[in-house]
Amino acid sequence: MARTLAMFTDTSLCIGCRACQVACKQWNELGMEVPEWTGTYQNHEHFTDKTFRLVRFIEEPKPTGDLAWLLMSDVCKHCAQAGCLDACPTGAIYRTEYGTVNISQDVCNGCRYCVSSCPFGVVAFNESTGTATKCTFCNDRIHNGLGPACAKACPTESIQFGFRDDLVAKAQKRVETLKAMGFKDAQLYGADAKGFLGGLNAFFLLLSRPGTYHLPENPKLPQRNVVVDSLLSIGSALIVGLGALLAFRDRGKGRDDA
Amino acid sequence: MLKTPGWEMMIVWYFFLGGIAGGAYFTAAIADNFGGARDRQVARAGYVLSLPLVMACGVLLIADLGVPTRFLNMLRVLKFWDPMSIGAWVVGAFGMFSFVSSVLSFSTSARTDALRRKIGLVGIFFGFFLASYTGVLLSSSAQPFWSEARLMGALFLASGASTGMAAISLILFLTGASAGEGWGKVKKADRYSMVFELCVLAIFLALLGSAATPLTSGHFAPLFWGGLVGVGLIVPLLLDLVGHRVKTLAALSALLVLAGGFVLRYVVLMSIQS
Ligand code: SF4
Ligand code: SF4
Repeated sequence: MARTLAMFTDTSLCIGCRACQVACKQWNELGMEVPEWTGTYQNHEHFTDKTFRLVRFIEEPKPTGDLAWLLMSDVCKHCAQAGCLDACPTGAIYRTEYGTVNISQDVCNGCRYCVSSCPFGVVAFNESTGTATKCTFCNDRIHNGLGPACAKACPTESIQFGFRDDLVAKAQKRVETLKAMGFKDAQLYGADAKGFLGGLNAFFLLLSRPGTYHLPENPKLPQRNVVVDSLLSIGSALIVGLGALLAFRDRGKGRDDA
Repeated sequence: MLKTPGWEMMIVWYFFLGGIAGGAYFTAAIADNFGGARDRQVARAGYVLSLPLVMACGVLLIADLGVPTRFLNMLRVLKFWDPMSIGAWVVGAFGMFSFVSSVLSFSTSARTDALRRKIGLVGIFFGFFLASYTGVLLSSSAQPFWSEARLMGALFLASGASTGMAAISLILFLTGASAGEGWGKVKKADRYSMVFELCVLAIFLALLGSAATPLTSGHFAPLFWGGLVGVGLIVPLLLDLVGHRVKTLAALSALLVLAGGFVLRYVVLMSIQS
């Protein structure tokens, strides 16, 4: 495997211009969205088959009473332990030699198990092709020496692309700087390869708790349940089987107390 | 900001029919192997019932994919830790067991009888799997409530048993074969399964705690408490208790169990997807 590639999204630098969102659409030929009123600046709200990069516009109440902008360009996390990948029964979802997670459109059969298995709600079903879609980490670009379209378009370097180890080191320094500047909640999300999901290959610097950005505080791999739940099902089968055995056991002629 | 998979009525039917198919088959195989000669009708009804049901399961699964031939993509790989992947294979394997056992259930020679019993003993495992894996499939997703339900597979299995046995008893009733000893035994086995299902359900809810709210309160609660717990389990048990020598009441109770099994799959799937 080649050195793992990553995207580091530093939300403290995001100005909400959505250049990344547009660049992603341009490169990946994604269609337009129908606007959707959500009662906030967030329009629209979810990743779809037409939106793989999504800028979140969050207004956080400040102690002074007014609102602070929190802006964050969200994307598939390309998890080191990816729920979508483990769920896929066709092998359509695979890990590239760079550590990114991708969906082969010609192998996907449209079962949608991955949609229900991403802890971040990233994978979206495309009704017209009948397949699951998500950010490809610009698979075609990274295999041709170009960075992802979103990172390239970002005018403030809020989205940075590079080798994961380099970016993590950079991100750690940046958190320290921000803390020294008084952003006491500045924190990395998914940078730690020993943390949740084995670390995210698209990781973030946040200025507030993950929940504020609609990110789960402690995402878990869905497949962690398979073994325990299967054992409990086997236990259930034993009891049911025993019951049936007792009911059907042949106790010789002449007795029918059923 | 999780997304739900959009598994709706076709999958509800699949879960329901798959449960009955698995339950009917393992009941048949147990009756065949451990019952007496007079339980043969039960075995035959169970084997033969499982065949059209598993075929319907296949059709539903394939139809839900939109493009039928894409089902073949599942057969490229076998992932042991992935319920969806093994599930697809097991539906096929179960179908074969179901077919062979059904054909052999019409045998008249002792040798083919013995063969059928042996095949049934292996098929039991596929039956148990088919009835329960759909629960594990849901509980190993990222969805709230589903992923917290440690006993989802166990509950689906108990429901597959109670509905499979109810379906067999209904067939015996409708074909006029309810006079034999087999009918009484399958009804008895069904009562055991229902009692067990109620217990599993209670522990299931207790373990879930507040995570069970999509079922226990809100829009789907009346259906859950009334349709599954009441009409689908408690009422049939009472009917069996008071009227277990009255065949029509016993048949009615079987019908209610089936309805309850459908409601279970419906509320579990739809309560967090709508
Ligand atoms: S964020 Fe979701 S879609 Fe992306 S790799 Fe992780 S599990 Fe898969
Ligand atoms: S919808 Fe496609 S990509 Fe997703 S799990 Fe199913 S086959 Fe795999």
